[in-house]
Amino acid sequence: MRADVRDGRELAWRLFLRNVRGLYRQTLLGLFWAFLPPVANTAIWIFLREQGVFNIGDLHVNATLYILTGMILWQAFADAIQMPMNVLTKNKNMLSKLRFSRESLLLVGVGEIVFDLLIRTVLLVLAMAWFGVVPSVAVVGAVFSVAMMILLGATLGILLMPIGSLYQDVGRLLSMVVPFWMIVTPIIYPTPTSFPGTMLNWINPASPFLILSRDLLLMGHSSMWVPAIGWAAITIPMALFGLMVFRISIPVLVERMNA
Amino acid sequence: MRYGLMDLGREILGAGRDRTTEDLRPGEFFAVKDANFQVREGECVGMLGPNGAGKSTMLKMINGLIRPNAGCITINGSVGAMIELGTGFNPILSGRENIYINAAVLGLGKLEVDRAMDRIVEFAELSHVIDEPIKTYSSGMKMRLGFSIGANLRPQLLLIDEVLAVGDVAFRMKCFNHLRELVKSGISIILVTHAVSMLNRVATRAIVFGSGNIIHDGDLETGCTVYEETMGASDRVQHAASPQPETTARVVSAEIVDEGGNPYKEFRTGETIRVRVTLTALETVDRMNLFAALFSPVHGRISAVSTAAHDLDFSIPAGGTICVTLTFENIQLLLGAFYFNISLYGPTSLDFYHRASGVGNFRIVGPPVRSDGRGIEGIAKLPCRWTIDKG
Repeated sequence: MRADVRDGRELAWRLFLRNVRGLYRQTLLGLFWAFLPPVANTAIWIFLREQGVFNIGDLHVNATLYILTGMILWQAFADAIQMPMNVLTKNKNMLSKLRFSRESLLLVGVGEIVFDLLIRTVLLVLAMAWFGVVPSVAVVGAVFSVAMMILLGATLGILLMPIGSLYQDVGRLLSMVVPFWMIVTPIIYPTPTSFPGTMLNWINPASPFLILSRDLLLMGHSSMWVPAIGWAAITIPMALFGLMVFRISIPVLVERMNA
Repeated sequence: MRYGLMDLGREILGAGRDRTTEDLRPGEFFAVKDANFQVREGECVGMLGPNGAGKSTMLKMINGLIRPNAGCITINGSVGAMIELGTGFNPILSGRENIYINAAVLGLGKLEVDRAMDRIVEFAELSHVIDEPIKTYSSGMKMRLGFSIGANLRPQLLLIDEVLAVGDVAFRMKCFNHLRELVKSGISIILVTHAVSMLNRVATRAIVFGSGNIIHDGDLETGCTVYEETMGASDRVQHAASPQPETTARVVSAEIVDEGGNPYKEFRTGETIRVRVTLTALETVDRMNLFAALFSPVHGRISAVSTAAHDLDFSIPAGGTICVTLTFENIQLLLGAFYFNISLYGPTSLDFYHRASGVGNFRIVGPPVRSDGRGIEGIAKLPCRWTIDKG
């Protein structure tokens, strides 16, 4: 598997360049489209908050910056979950006809998520500068946390991919579950400090990484290190298992392509 | 899909479905079965067969995309595939950018492509548009570019699936020349195509698939005729399955025999072929006309003759049987498979009695034809001569 990943790096890079160049050359607004989803979501929630539709309580930092950060991080996580099924669908033709490192497709998918995240980070940096938030060295911890969050999302997506490619129900269910999952993750409201909200944060795998990343970026400290490290300890072996499932399932899925 | 889920579960749990027994589940069938063959170094093998015969599945197995349920495939060396030209092309990007992408998909590294870039562009004859987006290319140009990139593959075994209908005649010739050079250099090629007439430009052996089995593995000429025969087989099955109404007179059988009167199916151009037709009638019928149409499964009707055209008038006695023999001396058909549709008429064309379709099938298996413009090719060898008049 390691050899295939190594051999697939060149192909992954080529396919990544193809997708990114192809995507942005076809648009008038280019990179703006990477900014749009988190900005639009943030705008909606800020508007609802300003209208008094809901009261999110004391956030310790500017509400716009808080929600925008959460939205950018959540977008990366949601993209990571959808990524394996998307790459399989987009590359069905190649998968069913040619032999190449299948892992390269996952590398491309992760690369695109990271690329989008980096573009959005520019927006975040501008917003932080605007609101006078200076990041500390704890930002290094945030990078680790974001990486684990993307790995977790991609792993869940990989584990769902084999069934999802056979039954479209999985994709439909996912598109319903992800927005609900976002609501139960503290993105538009403060991190709960009392039971049962605290417990929900511990058992919701997205919460520890997202909260830790946001806290470290905006405040330089966080109380979510323990659950985040716990989930990281689960995520890493789960990711290796996911890669194994991906490898084993591709020939079975290829048998059923063009059937 | 349910089977897919079951197979996935078993594979993941390490208890993959028992692939050594023939435990087909309802609705399943073997796409390829009992297929054994070897391809030697520097050999080009044409893989033929009608749609659904198992060629592409075989190619996928050789290419390592899917696993056989039973048996094994051993390859000494690397495998390359030119299966769908231009896989991975992005229409927005330029031809040059797409060369890097497609080459990477085929397993070529950047350095190899850098070195081969001029050669690829020149081979594709696209130097004037190589920096334009692919979406501005015609489909032929895209195919040419795809082939040119694939032409730089140097595996030990090259798999080619239906990609030889590339560009115009001149470009196709260039592709065949390239393949011949690869074969000369010791690369083995498995070439899947329906274009039988092109095959002898590069292949020397044919493997013919029919319903998942290998029905011929040997010389190209016989392979091509066997393939043509399989193409016509579906028509014959269809005719045989259709109900035959009771008629006063009918064709009982039509059999191909050699000069000695023995049943035979394989002939060479210039030999004598006889079609022995057995007829019967419930009551005496006079002034009969037998009409025999010769067909090729690939080219359709070739020729038709009737007893009336040769002023042959015959009768069939009540309850009796007669044999009518049609002889083709020095037959000038070239390589291929052939069959007859034989119709029995009375004195006029309106007095139709019976038709036997897809009967009397035979093959012309030699001599070889040449498709490089330096020999005789086509369906028939017409008597002719060349003369040169000095001006």
